[in-house]
Amino acid sequence: MSATNGAFTETFVEAAGLRIQLRRGGDGPPLLILHGELGVPGWLSAYAQLAEHFTVYVPSLPGFGQSSRPEWIASVRDLAAWVSWFARDLKLPAPLPVIGSSVGGWVAAEIAIVNSALFSKLVLVAPAGVPPDDGQIIWDYFLHSTRDAFARAFADPAGAPEYARFYGEGWTPDDDRQAEWNREMAARLIWKPYMRSHTLSTLLGGVATPTLVVWGRQDAIIPVSVGERWARAIPGATARVLDRCGHAPELERPDEFVHTVREFLLPQA
Amino acid sequence: MVKEVFFFTEMGYTAYPQDDARQRGYNNLMFPNEHFSPERARELYAMYFDELLYCSETGFDGVMINEHHNNPLSMMPSVNVIGSVLARTTRKGKIVFLGNVLPIHENPLRVAEEVAMIDILSGGRVVCGFVRGLGQESIATNVNPVYNRERFDEAHNVIIAAWTRPGPFRWEGRHFEYRVVNPWMKPLQKPHPAIWIPGVVSPESVRWAAEHRYPYVALAPPLHVIDEIYDLYDEVAQQAGYTPTSENRGYVIRVCVADTDEEAYEQGRHFFWQLGTSFGIAPKHWLQPPGYVSREARASKREAIRVGAVNITPGGPPLSYEEAHATYQIVSGNPDTVIKKLQHVIDVVDPGYMIFWGREGLMSHDVAIRGIDLMTKEVIPAVKAYRADREQGRRRLGLAATG
Repeated sequence: MSATNGAFTETFVEAAGLRIQLRRGGDGPPLLILHGELGVPGWLSAYAQLAEHFTVYVPSLPGFGQSSRPEWIASVRDLAAWVSWFARDLKLPAPLPVIGSSVGGWVAAEIAIVNSALFSKLVLVAPAGVPPDDGQIIWDYFLHSTRDAFARAFADPAGAPEYARFYGEGWTPDDDRQAEWNREMAARLIWKPYMRSHTLSTLLGGVATPTLVVWGRQDAIIPVSVGERWARAIPGATARVLDRCGHAPELERPDEFVHTVREFLLPQA
Repeated sequence: MVKEVFFFTEMGYTAYPQDDARQRGYNNLMFPNEHFSPERARELYAMYFDELLYCSETGFDGVMINEHHNNPLSMMPSVNVIGSVLARTTRKGKIVFLGNVLPIHENPLRVAEEVAMIDILSGGRVVCGFVRGLGQESIATNVNPVYNRERFDEAHNVIIAAWTRPGPFRWEGRHFEYRVVNPWMKPLQKPHPAIWIPGVVSPESVRWAAEHRYPYVALAPPLHVIDEIYDLYDEVAQQAGYTPTSENRGYVIRVCVADTDEEAYEQGRHFFWQLGTSFGIAPKHWLQPPGYVSREARASKREAIRVGAVNITPGGPPLSYEEAHATYQIVSGNPDTVIKKLQHVIDVVDPGYMIFWGREGLMSHDVAIRGIDLMTKEVIPAVKAYRADREQGRRRLGLAATG
């Protein structure tokens, strides 16, 4: 298997009591990817690029994709506990770097708050969990269709190859059912309070892990100003804002995204 | 045979600008409430309550009421408030709550208290129905739709326990928790008011009703899905060790009676008063928020038949007025015509309880009253007499699977 041509494997693994759909590629040190509330649509171009440097692990989190859904995971904190067990059961050598997008970023932060030993570095991509400034709101997935949400996650869907690849003309009724299934899991995690925690901002003060916060300047799901709140809340965190980019930088700006992440994870390279 | 006949109206708030709703593509949930006029609502309430009072005095066995939120479809955002008014303004007839929207309450004990109060105030005339609510109502009240069915089930258990178990006791469930369950107010009827479960034929609700031996009230479905509903009910009942009778079956049907067939046909159009529909319009992701319809239900044959059926349940495909007649979702005509049509419905459903959804939309008060008179004087006696001397049972159409 060669990582450089984007090759990856897709398998099912038993981990932490669940059957999990796992995409994996590359052969360097491990890098864990935690997707967001919309699920992960496939092996992204960004993952293929990262796999040139890392062994990239992209599980479909419990309840998403083809992974099984336990009744007990009903909050982001529940999911965070499961993710730490998943890393243990896959024998991923700790500490390892993690990239978490939106709700996946929130999950990574929850882990780092209580366990500084699992992650060496946090890359939080437009993470959910911290409320915006007064007068700003987080876009409501549950008043809109999943199709609306995919488009909303991009600053310019029409100009994004990954949008066309995953959400474009090839979209099938099966994709629609999968999206609805993912949306149901999202509702379990974030229906109320919606995309935010009343305690997270305070708890982030205890994060001791080096952290990079990445945001798309045109994020129309969680306003970019929330990124400043994250950077202020986590001691020593740095923030990067990508231009012409919405809520899903790894999909919309894969090259810039990977460049930014590499600078942070592999500064000597 | 039909034992009792009730009257129903959604109490529509008819004064909103439908052109605005048409442009937006929805007339509920987020349709701006600047279009609501309390003064106009006061007039409409007066008319609707006069009609319900008239029904209860002239030959109906009572009235049905319900609950909807953020929706001009209905001026009844609290079924218990409507019911308590009727408890003291009517003197006879049942008050059929179809029903309290259980999942949206954070405190179902309050529902137990209110229904108990109304049962006492009315002299034991309450029939207590429980519903899951429209999808939009989970959003309007911001109660996670993923747990809609769990909350329905547990809230029901809380209420029945509050009515039947001596207090005080503690309740520690998944969704509701009480240090002390000990409501002072308990229902007049013992052990509690009859429970009916209305629905738009979700198979899980049919199954749940049968398991609990509660009558299932089909809410104005196309007649050809009836076999699917009550075959399932009968299957579950047999497994539970009992044989359903007509008293396990209720049926809501839109009925428009006038002096002539032609006039009734024209007046019946008022059932389609909201942008050509009965329930109004809303996008699918409001009607079916996440988890509201289970994966099992989506995959079921019965669900496919229901959703695929030409119907005028919320979220169904658009239906013409003519098709609504053809599928018996509305019957109209002079009394003789309506009686004949209802006899066919009775053959297929064999309901113990019929609910005539008897007025809607911009139908005038005078027309509504004339319809009520024709129902009470001619239609109801004929409906109750029909098959009274014959063997009971449903006469299956046997074509749902191919319909």
